[in-house]
Amino acid sequence: MKSARSPMLAHTLYLEVPFEDSTQAEIAVKVLEPDPILRPEDFEVDYSSKDRNLCISFKSIDDRVLRVGVSSVIESIKSIIETIDEFK
Amino acid sequence: MAEPFAVYKSPNEQDREFKVDSTSKRYQTTNGQTTGPSAYVVQAGQVDVDKPSDPKKDENGDYTYLSKLRMGLTGLQDDINEFLTEQMEKAKNKKYKQDDEIRIKGEIEKLLDGGDDDDDDENE
Repeated sequence: MKSARSPMLAHTLYLEVPFEDSTQAEIAVKVLEPDPILRPEDFEVDYSSKDRNLCISFKSIDDRVLRVGVSSVIESIKSIIETIDEFK
Repeated sequence: MAEPFAVYKSPNEQDREFKVDSTSKRYQTTNGQTTGPSAYVVQAGQVDVDKPSDPKKDENGDYTYLSKLRMGLTGLQDDINEFLTEQMEKAKNKKYKQDDEIRIKGEIEKLLDGGDDDDDDENE
């Protein structure tokens, strides 16, 4: 989710989550990507996988929006991990 | 095992890295301190139906890789949430201070302007 106001989004967080293998990391990207961003002018998320790592870059207009967005995405990642762990 | 990590950057703060310390109890639970319902509503009798499941163990009684990852991520989430809450508090206090300075400056200018007006009246 990119926006035209990227230069304004100066508060950033990069998160890397090492899964067991690249397939799990790719599944996580596919699950997370469709989630809509409610205010794309204030917050951006970029998901990718590198080897077995899920890599996420967050950009935000301030720390308040960053906290809400990051915590929400981490909740989703924990659910994905829990689900894969349960069914594998 | 490899652990999750995060790096925070902003124009006003030094870069901050968040790492998992798997020997600390903070990273050995799936129940985060900064997530879920508040202690107040739990004490009031609310049942947390969204509570995360306990970490899963394999046939040897050891936690599975993904359970360890989930526990590490839970602790990391708490670290990030607490840090960003502190940053929000700092930004709020800074804004209050700036608002106060603007208000005081405005009041001083108003008083000085008022003084000038009085002098003008007297001269007339």
